[in-house]
Amino acid sequence: MSDFVRHPAGVAGAILLTIIALAVLFGPLVAPYDPQAFHTTVRLQGPSADHWLGTDQFGRDLLSRILFGARSTIAFGVGATMISVIAGSLIGVTAGVVGGWIDSVIMRGLDGMLAVPDLLFVLLIVTMLGAGTGEAMLAVSIAFTPGMARISRSSVLSIRTREYVLAAVARGESQRYIILSEVIPNAIGPIIVEGTIRVSFAIMIGATLGFLGMGAQPPSTEWGLMVSEARQFMYRSPWVVAVPGLAIAVAAMGFNLFGDALRDAFDPRRSR
Amino acid sequence: MSLGYLTRRLFSVLLVLVIVSFAVFAITMILPGNAAVMILGEYATEDQLLALAEVLGLNRPWYIQYFEWAGNILQADWGMSLRLSLPVGEVVGDAFWNSASLAVTALGTVIIIAIPLGILAALYRGSKVDLGIGLFAYVGTAMPEFVTATLLLVFLAGSAGGYLPAGGFIAPNESFPGFVSHVILPAGTLGLILMAHIARQVRSEMSDVLASDYIRAARLKGLRERTVIRRHALPNSLAPAVAVISLDIGYLLGGIIVVEEIFAWPGLGRLLIYALENRDLPVIQAITLLLAAVYALSNLFSDLVIAALDPRVRY
Amino acid sequence: MVEKLGNLPAEASLDGLTVLAIRDYSLNYNTTSGPFEALKSINLEINRGQTLGLVGESGSGKTSLAWAIMRYLPDNASEVSGSISLLGENLRSKSHQEILEIRGRRISMVFQDPSTSLNPVIRLGDQIAEVLVRHRGLTPKQALTEGEALLATTGITKPAEMMDRYPHQASGGEKQRVVIATAFACNPELIIFDEPTTALDIITARQILDLFDRLREETQVTALYISHDLGLVSRIADDVAVIRSGLVVEEELCDRVFSAPQHQYTRDLIAAVPHPNRRIASPAPEESASDLLNMTGVSVRYGETSILTRIFQPDRELTYGACDVSLNVRLRELLGVVGESGSGKSTIAKVLAGLQDFDGSLRFNERVFATRKSINTDYRRAVQIVFQNPDASLNPRQKIREILSRPLKLYKIVPRSEIPQRIRDLLSKVLLPEEFADRYPHQLSGGEKQRVAIARAFAAEPELVICDEITSSLDVSVQASVAKLLVDLQRDTGTTCIFITHDLNLIRQLAHRIAVMYRGSLVDLFETNEAENAERHSYTRALLDAVPVPAGTESSPSP
Repeated sequence: MSDFVRHPAGVAGAILLTIIALAVLFGPLVAPYDPQAFHTTVRLQGPSADHWLGTDQFGRDLLSRILFGARSTIAFGVGATMISVIAGSLIGVTAGVVGGWIDSVIMRGLDGMLAVPDLLFVLLIVTMLGAGTGEAMLAVSIAFTPGMARISRSSVLSIRTREYVLAAVARGESQRYIILSEVIPNAIGPIIVEGTIRVSFAIMIGATLGFLGMGAQPPSTEWGLMVSEARQFMYRSPWVVAVPGLAIAVAAMGFNLFGDALRDAFDPRRSR
Repeated sequence: MSLGYLTRRLFSVLLVLVIVSFAVFAITMILPGNAAVMILGEYATEDQLLALAEVLGLNRPWYIQYFEWAGNILQADWGMSLRLSLPVGEVVGDAFWNSASLAVTALGTVIIIAIPLGILAALYRGSKVDLGIGLFAYVGTAMPEFVTATLLLVFLAGSAGGYLPAGGFIAPNESFPGFVSHVILPAGTLGLILMAHIARQVRSEMSDVLASDYIRAARLKGLRERTVIRRHALPNSLAPAVAVISLDIGYLLGGIIVVEEIFAWPGLGRLLIYALENRDLPVIQAITLLLAAVYALSNLFSDLVIAALDPRVRY
Repeated sequence: MVEKLGNLPAEASLDGLTVLAIRDYSLNYNTTSGPFEALKSINLEINRGQTLGLVGESGSGKTSLAWAIMRYLPDNASEVSGSISLLGENLRSKSHQEILEIRGRRISMVFQDPSTSLNPVIRLGDQIAEVLVRHRGLTPKQALTEGEALLATTGITKPAEMMDRYPHQASGGEKQRVVIATAFACNPELIIFDEPTTALDIITARQILDLFDRLREETQVTALYISHDLGLVSRIADDVAVIRSGLVVEEELCDRVFSAPQHQYTRDLIAAVPHPNRRIASPAPEESASDLLNMTGVSVRYGETSILTRIFQPDRELTYGACDVSLNVRLRELLGVVGESGSGKSTIAKVLAGLQDFDGSLRFNERVFATRKSINTDYRRAVQIVFQNPDASLNPRQKIREILSRPLKLYKIVPRSEIPQRIRDLLSKVLLPEEFADRYPHQLSGGEKQRVAIARAFAAEPELVICDEITSSLDVSVQASVAKLLVDLQRDTGTTCIFITHDLNLIRQLAHRIAVMYRGSLVDLFETNEAENAERHSYTRALLDAVPVPAGTESSPSP
């Protein structure tokens, strides 16, 4: 664990994540203005003393909108990923533990689903379910589940052949004990790493859906939606699109950096 | 490699496409309401709906509908677009070539720039060059396409900048300079993100290669460093680089949807958004299948390239 | 070409000329927890035509010394003092360019694992030729011809073919010959051999060792031979230096090292080298002892073929892990099973431990088992297995206490309340302190982990313990103590034991009977004292030839 702290990437990621967590938890409490309030006299302004990140086309304070929108954007990413991690792990661990033809069938199915690019898959499902934050989150979870299942399965397979697992099998331990006490505690590492990195993709896809009008709906302050609503004004004040855009990038980067540092902490032999 | 391997790979590509086609069929057929409602709208009467359903054959068992649809596809009959009153094949065909020109431009630029970047970063690990490339890579992978596209537009195409057109398309055979000026921003958007991915992966692969025993052995034979890099390191990192690129093609196919929409590029992505918004089922099905097929075939192609590059791979 | 002697005029008087001189050399590695003294005031000399054997266990610094001589140190290394001279020239003061000229031409190196030290995507011929082009100024064509001739001198039967192959198309022995040929190619003044036989099979290792001997004779090359195996070094070195924790504790003529070792560590190392005459076994069971276990016609087939595979790859064969093996194990004996890798010995271990499907039958304690599934809990309690790799045989997330209590709980050996006491007993039986119960595996050394694995096996109060190469991953001195521990345990508990290994000398010390396996079949089975009889199978004899008794240790008194 001490190695983790020494990696600058990990520290940077941790710092970013802390800021993000604070924004999600306390954003609405510390926001200086009501995110929907119009201030018509100061529309499309850059940063100023009153409005630290500027204002949008209706004079709404960007900082407040960002702080409120953190919940929609980030919680979306984390929520969607967690569902896919749970569902994917169940499928992958089952496939890896049971083996045999069940495993082959599951793998074939996963291969088929993985043949469709992520965003495309999500768009199809969202169209099917209808637009909206909840629907979008479900769509992203479904799209991510095959990938997480793959990772879980391969992690389980690699642990299954370790000698301490063989020793347990030789002893005649029950399948339940072997899975719960020998395999899963050791297989969880790569799953968590992959999950953390996936959050950044989930955030990006969620924002993209918001941008396309298929995810969060107005009057939500989801960051992707903010960009699409402000597009036509972007030449007059780049801040209206740059601020939410960069917020998305910062959030995604935070999870990415943290996930990479986790990966290095779990497997120090990898070259970074 | 053996004919057996090639046959098996083609067979598995086919299998994957069958599964995808099934999934696509299932998804689009499970849309709330059925196709008849989509076409006639919410205010159609029961009779009108039933009649149309008869005509479209929507009341037959699902497996019959699937096989008929699949059979048609295989005979290159993709049906009629529900909204555009044109054969799907025609509509999709044009869009395909437009998308291809964008994708190929983006991919080509990426390969030429990203691979050397990744190699440089690995060679100068820990230096400022490596740090710079690393930073670029991290930021690049954290920005969704629409953010990159928007920022590029603001700075390069706006009335303030005004250097490049903000969207639209000119076919390369009509006017090559016109094509170039229109393709720069969309390809650049796609390219930046892909470059970030690929540079990072190549750096990691190359670092692994440089840390290997055979590189150490080559250096201890007294070979000059540039010989070691050129003859010993590079050939070993080509195969992994190809693998990385083939994985990223999936990402490219997703990103192209958003980029075409933003830059009004008349390709498959823009067409798909239109079809999704308007519930144009045949078009949705056709594009999804097409994109999945492109991805699967590009993976197969890259496997072949890897087999050609790496003598250990003998199937 | 191989008769030319280095870069020196052939007529000069060369005896006694010091080729490599290391004086007062100290090396530190800067780690996050402070400087680590890897080498401390090393003083060594190698004279013309001599071979210096450098013997040390893992972590002794022997490999660091090789890197120091080749001037290939990592960034965090700092040379604190001393000099390294090649024919009087101080290598430390050379520029990088000059060092590049020296590497491969005046000093070359033979590595431990030929599979990883050859570039997988370059043909073998090119890998030899490039050294000749670089240092001897040959054209590529000349270099290939010369390379072919070099391969012939290292005993490759079809050198022209080998030049065209890629590394994965050659066997371990062939690859190592290529590496050796490359090292000799430019007639260097010094060659460093870094454990060149460790990654090879017994018989191949012997062939490479013979090759080394022959080339040494023919070329009078000066060599630094690094190894962890004192017994092996004794056969090929003129001088021996023993290194421990960065310090050279003994440096002597080979014969004197063994007949009159000065340092205690050297004495310990010598004592740890397995020698067939030094029995460490428990008393043999009587002739009339019954059989504990009988294997009849056991076979293991790998590669179930599906229809599709059979259509597209009709000539893919079924591989056999074990082929029709019939073996009996007598009560209270220690049965040794010997073979090279791929001989099937580990497969048999897995079958007996109930980890592998098999055809055939097992009879144990009056019960017959014909499939893996039929193996019941009684059997599993009575038959325990200890694995080779100490790092992988203990669950890294469990404390030692938990690891040892599992069999106790599973088989209800003792009531719950007595478990802590039993764990203390187990730890003391394997000579580990009580406090270890609260530690995690990564806090223990390899030898200590192996003791825990043994304790875990004996915790179940088994009737048969299978030891699958349990000492192969350990240092020599640790090996001896673990082997002795096992024998003591066997004697105290009356447990029967199957000991699998590739070390013939070790098994002759421990076992009552020895079984020899080759390519999945059992080819020989005999009492240990009949090992050298005439009626032994030819493969057994080949193995015995390949692993002769260590020189200079014959006169050591048995304990």
